[in-house]
Amino acid sequence: MIFGMWDGVYFHIGPIPVDHLVVTQWGIVAVIGLLAFFATKNMQVCPKGLQNAFEWIVVWTTDFFTQLMDKEHIAKKYAPLLSTFFLFILFSNYSGLIPGAAHIQGFQPPTSNWNVTVTLALITVFAVQSAGFAEHGFHYLGHFVSPNPLMLPLNLLEEITHPLSLTVRLFGNIFGEEMIIAYMMFMVPFLIPSALMALSVLLGAIQAIVFTILSASYIAAATGEGH
Amino acid sequence: MGIALGAGLAVSIAGLGGGVGMGVAGGKAIEAIARQPEVGGDVRTLMFITFAFIETLTIYGLLIAFMLVGKM
Repeated sequence: MIFGMWDGVYFHIGPIPVDHLVVTQWGIVAVIGLLAFFATKNMQVCPKGLQNAFEWIVVWTTDFFTQLMDKEHIAKKYAPLLSTFFLFILFSNYSGLIPGAAHIQGFQPPTSNWNVTVTLALITVFAVQSAGFAEHGFHYLGHFVSPNPLMLPLNLLEEITHPLSLTVRLFGNIFGEEMIIAYMMFMVPFLIPSALMALSVLLGAIQAIVFTILSASYIAAATGEGH
Repeated sequence: MGIALGAGLAVSIAGLGGGVGMGVAGGKAIEAIARQPEVGGDVRTLMFITFAFIETLTIYGLLIAFMLVGKM
C-alpha cells in the first residue's frame, strides 16, 4: 500500500513485477488500438463515423500544434507523440469513472500513481532534448550557458523542474479527485458522488490537454530560435 | 492532532494562494477576450498554461497534506 492505494502484483515477467496498473494500461492501449484499427479498416474518400472522428482529431491537433509551436515541420514531427499523450492520458483518466472504480481493487486509473506519470514526464524530457539536438545540433548545448555561464545551474534546475511539475500535476489532480470521490462515496453513498464524477469528466479532459500543451511548449522552447 | 492540523493548513493555505492567483489570471483573460474576441483561442491556450503553473503549487500543498495524512 502506498498512499492508501492498493498495489497488487499479479505475476512476474522475468524480474519485472506486473501489477494492476500495468494491466489497466494494456487494456487502454488495446481499446485505443482497436478504435484506430476499426477507424482505418476500410477507408473511404468521404469519411463517416469513426474515420471522420479520427480525421478530425488528426487535422485539429496538427493545426493546433502548428499554431502553438510556430514551426510547421516541428509540429508535424511531434504531433503524433503529443496526440498519443493526449489520448492515452484521457483514456487513463476516464478509466477511473467506471462505476465503483475507486472501490474495486485493481480499477484505479493508471495516472493516479506516481510511476505512470513519472514515465510520461520522462518521455517528454527525452523528446525535448532530442528535439533540441535534432533542430540545432550541438549549438543546442549553448542554451544551457545563455545568457552567460553563471546561469548554468539555474538552466539545469529548469530542466529538472519541468518533468517534476508535469509528474506532480497529473498525479496530484487525478489522485486527489479519486480520493475525494472515494471519501464522498464513504460519507454519502447516493447522488452526491455523481456530481463530483461529472466534475471529474471535465477535470480529466483538462489535465490531458494541459499535459499535452505543456509538452508541446517545452518542445517549442527547445527547438525555437534564440539559442 | 498536530499532524491533522498541519495537513489542513497545508492544503488550505496552498488553496488560498492558488485561488487568488487563478481568479486574477482568469478575470484578466476574460477581460481580454471581451475586449478583443478574435484572439479568444490564443488567450484561452495561454490561460490554460498559466492555470497549470499556478495549479501545480496548490497541488504541491495537497500532496504534502496527503503525505501527512498517510503518516497519521
